[in-house]
Amino acid sequence: MTAITAIERHDRRFGWLLTTPGLLLLVAVIAFPVGWALFTSLFDYTLLAPGYENFVGGANYALAVGDGEFLHAAKVTFFFVVAVVVIEFAVGFLVALMLNDTERGKNIYYLILLCPLLMNPVVVGLIWRMFLHPTLGIVNYLLGRIGISPVNWLGDATMAFWTVVFVDIWHQISFMIVLLLAGLSALPKEPYEAARVDGASALQSFWHITLPLMRPVIVVTLLIRVIFAIKTYDIIYIMTRGGPGIATDLVSYFIYRRAFVSLDLGEACAMAGVLLVAVLAITAYLHRSMRAL
Amino acid sequence: MASIELRGVSKAYAGGALAVRDVNLEIADGEFMIFLGPSGCGKSTTLRMIAGLETITSGDLIIDGKRVNDVDPAERDIAIVFQNYALYPHMTVRDNMGFGLKLRGVPKAEIARRIDGIAEMLGVTVLLDRRPAHLSGGQRQRVALGRALVREPRAFLLDEPLSNLDAKLRAVMRTELIKLHRRLGTTMIHVTHDQVEAMTMGQRICIMRDGEVVQVGAPLDVYRDPADTFVASFLATPPMNLLPGRIEAAGDDLVAVAGGVSVRIPAQFRADYLGYAGKPVILGLRPEDLHETEQRAGAAACPIRTRIETVEALGPETVLTLSVTGGQELAARLSAARIYVMGSDLTLYYDAAKLHLFDPATTKRIPRLSAAN
Repeated sequence: MTAITAIERHDRRFGWLLTTPGLLLLVAVIAFPVGWALFTSLFDYTLLAPGYENFVGGANYALAVGDGEFLHAAKVTFFFVVAVVVIEFAVGFLVALMLNDTERGKNIYYLILLCPLLMNPVVVGLIWRMFLHPTLGIVNYLLGRIGISPVNWLGDATMAFWTVVFVDIWHQISFMIVLLLAGLSALPKEPYEAARVDGASALQSFWHITLPLMRPVIVVTLLIRVIFAIKTYDIIYIMTRGGPGIATDLVSYFIYRRAFVSLDLGEACAMAGVLLVAVLAITAYLHRSMRAL
Repeated sequence: MASIELRGVSKAYAGGALAVRDVNLEIADGEFMIFLGPSGCGKSTTLRMIAGLETITSGDLIIDGKRVNDVDPAERDIAIVFQNYALYPHMTVRDNMGFGLKLRGVPKAEIARRIDGIAEMLGVTVLLDRRPAHLSGGQRQRVALGRALVREPRAFLLDEPLSNLDAKLRAVMRTELIKLHRRLGTTMIHVTHDQVEAMTMGQRICIMRDGEVVQVGAPLDVYRDPADTFVASFLATPPMNLLPGRIEAAGDDLVAVAGGVSVRIPAQFRADYLGYAGKPVILGLRPEDLHETEQRAGAAACPIRTRIETVEALGPETVLTLSVTGGQELAARLSAARIYVMGSDLTLYYDAAKLHLFDPATTKRIPRLSAAN
């Protein structure tokens, strides 16, 4: 290795000087809590008797993995994520394709689309809880006007799951549209003309050109949405509290309950650790498949 | 193989701006036609209308006797090579070339056979498994050409395919395209703003300006007999010297005068220009019609006294910029045999039989009745 010159040393010092405040902040708000939670997960730490006296090692993890309720929450989360991401992607891509061909009023559509995204999830949850109220909500009122009997949107187990899915889609789909639209508008125009002359129909152009060229954008969009969908917490807290029963008990909400209702912080931290590993695994997998393109 | 005919074809964009105005043109089966003109003259738009990538606002496009205005580009069976090649970035060279055939349902073995044949011919066989991102500009250009060739279309449309290549490669590809046309005998339309390409490649040139066809003809005919000052100043480098002046009667003779340049009109053309006596005209003198000696300039030699302003020694020839009394500047293209010194005086002899005269009001050439040039 060659010795670094004085200029390089000066540059490095200056670089550290610039990054240190940001790094300290990241350590304080991310690395420290994560490390603390992982540390706590190794103890039998409850909020009734807080303290690090009882080291239990991996026992909390064994408990979490064997916990039927936790596994149920994981299963519900899995179906929730699949439903939300698949529907958002399919509808979002369609809308993005349509908007990409739109010439007039694009900014107005953008504005309308962005409205839900700008709203706080708590506000979204409250709005829809009021809309969907079984007796006082406007949705059931309107359905009644056209002769459809009222639906118990959040009271029935299956219906509640799909209602939560719907509200999340309503809230998050514009994110998908905006990202996909940015990708579409950055695609080169020329291959499409070449394909037209080569004899490709609109559908063939989409299949053979748009999809393959969009693959990196699609992967990133799906990745971000999957991670965010796994972490969904606020609309569950506001709309169903995991109910009815445990029909919409998403894993984030379940961990919250284990920590602050059951007061078993050690176990909750272990579950959060398991969730962290799962999210990291998905991220790594998608990142690798993206790099392979 | 196809003949292509444009009848009163126009293209208007939203807002009413006319990109192409009333183009009438017949391109024979197997012909190599050049569309030449400056940027924005409508030549590419015309080509894209033939390909079907732009709609035709009015007029008829006829391919092989059939009106194809409303025929989908896929069904016109015409291939186009784009300026920026427009290769499919996610496909290998092989897939790029085979895409059109695959869409048409050509059997795989046949596709492979045709690709291998064309790749061999263009020298891109070793590139077949690469993606466009890993090719140089010249290689991409060949692949784009190959993609058009494997389709064996009725006609090739080339939209400035050489303009992104460096000068040396451009010269090579120019020759290859000429050879290719001779071998295939397929109709080709080549769009360019490069007058060297236009002069060397095509059987005929169609010169366009502001969406209109200015002149159509064989390269040498257009060079010898430009229809107006635009064509005169567009072909050849340096272009024709255009000097505003007038025709004066001197006894029996007619003399075209522009400041320090005065050209006695040869007797055989006198009758043609008699009507312009006393009127303003634009004199057109090709730089290559100025000579160092009276003998070279021929029987109708006219001396012009000049001062050398700049000297561009190109090797095989030397281009001079000269000033003439009266303020005009002239370009002259002379043999490289002599050494010229900037600032020195020089008398050149102009071959008056080669004089072009244009009407300043219309910029059109004043027609000569006598055939000789």
